[in-house]
Amino acid sequence: MKVHVDAERCQGHTLCAMIAPEVFELSDIDGHSSAITEDVPAELEQKVIEAVNSCPEGAISVS
Amino acid sequence: MPQEEAADDTRKAPRFRFDRHAPDYHEQFEAITQEMHAKCPIAWSDTYDGHWVAAGNGQVFDLARSAEFLSNDHDVKGERRGYQGISIPAPQKSGQGGILEMDPPRQRYYRQALNPYLSPAAVARWVPFVDEVVRACLDEKIESGSIDFVDDLANVVPAVLTLAMMGIPLQRWVIYNEPAHAGVYTPPDSPDMPRVIALHQEMIMDLVRQLHDVRANPRPGLIDALVALRIDGEAPPDAELMGNLALLIGGGFDTTTALTAHALEWLSENPVERERLSRERDTLLDSATEEFLRFYTPAVGDGRTISADCEIAGVRFREGDRLWLSWAMANRDAAAFPDPNEVDLARRNNRHSSFGLGVHRCIGSNVARMVFKRMLLAVLDRMPDYGCDPDGAVHYDSIGVINGMRHLPATFTPGPRVGPGLAETLDVLQRACDEQGLAAPVTVRQGRAQIGST
Repeated sequence: MKVHVDAERCQGHTLCAMIAPEVFELSDIDGHSSAITEDVPAELEQKVIEAVNSCPEGAISVS
Repeated sequence: MPQEEAADDTRKAPRFRFDRHAPDYHEQFEAITQEMHAKCPIAWSDTYDGHWVAAGNGQVFDLARSAEFLSNDHDVKGERRGYQGISIPAPQKSGQGGILEMDPPRQRYYRQALNPYLSPAAVARWVPFVDEVVRACLDEKIESGSIDFVDDLANVVPAVLTLAMMGIPLQRWVIYNEPAHAGVYTPPDSPDMPRVIALHQEMIMDLVRQLHDVRANPRPGLIDALVALRIDGEAPPDAELMGNLALLIGGGFDTTTALTAHALEWLSENPVERERLSRERDTLLDSATEEFLRFYTPAVGDGRTISADCEIAGVRFREGDRLWLSWAMANRDAAAFPDPNEVDLARRNNRHSSFGLGVHRCIGSNVARMVFKRMLLAVLDRMPDYGCDPDGAVHYDSIGVINGMRHLPATFTPGPRVGPGLAETLDVLQRACDEQGLAAPVTVRQGRAQIGST
């Protein structure tokens, strides 16, 4: 599984990093999210899917 | 009826009479929400000179994200298109409400200036400071066995922290506290209104004084960020800065108070869930916080003006139409949240819109979450058996702007004080602010506040 945060859509709600801090990191400056690495380890896939479903802006996608 | 008006009449459908300031709206909220979700997730209401109301989760999402067709602008002086900002009905006499009544790109300059004070990393630095304010508030009451969670805790902590972050002397919180709340909950026709207006003016005068002080003798904080801001090389006019200072006060005070009071009230009514939350806080605190945000949506919605003819979610909007985005109703949509009218502390996939959606996402959202969590945990630890007095609890008469509470008295088994009272504590914390430059942006200072033995 690969994960991507759309930087245009992300508004810094921070829910993804609350759910899967191993995968998402927040900018110190504005709290906007990015994926630490694109490849999601198998054991974190469930959490990443939850992050996708929790993002208020629909900014996270997996493929 | 002229042809054009008749055509406009057909466009304005379905119709639903929506009045969120009506005396029975609070009581009818769930029924109205369910009816609108079933029949008209976007409706035209003739109330307040006519406006659209978006109630459905998907519809609110689609609209809020259509930034190219929406404006937050409050054109106070009639220099642009005369738009009325985010309040419906439009306020009788008011300035521009800071960045919340401003469109990009100007709004973006402000956010870039303020974000380094309000990001998750910036806010985390304040945890020891907040814990100390909370401790002092609880110590004031812990030996007596009774407390008003609004007056004695949830009003105080967000107020003190907001002033600290702005760079305003902490002891002045009392000047700001009452007008910040009473200005929201006092109905316009109340006999108390002249007094509230006078208090509000006193607060604004103090904000002006603080702005001038910081300009003359810079000290770190959000005021300094605004004073230093340049847009295309120019300092924004003072009226615009004042709008933003008032917005920081309004956003920082009443909303977090509202969330905290409602959560503490619900936990008193659901003691088994309270014990579970306290016991399983490591896994439940985040989801419970988001759930209280969803269920009690403190800022119930925002107005917008349609800035260009468009069709969104199957509705034809015309430039100049007014629109109410109901975050509170979107948060109760069964299409997005199973059992939407139940509080589920472990709820997953909780994509609520309590902090708004799009470029105007509440800039203080990280502050709100942190302060709420620190207050809640301290109460669970020090007053674990508290019980609220339902007869003494006072909810806002109108939940048209903020779903808030004025009082929430409670009793509990008394415990020992562990430190000095509030006034003395604020003096200690003021020294920490001054000596450590706590209110500097995260780009300047990364370390956490050092308070006492922490």
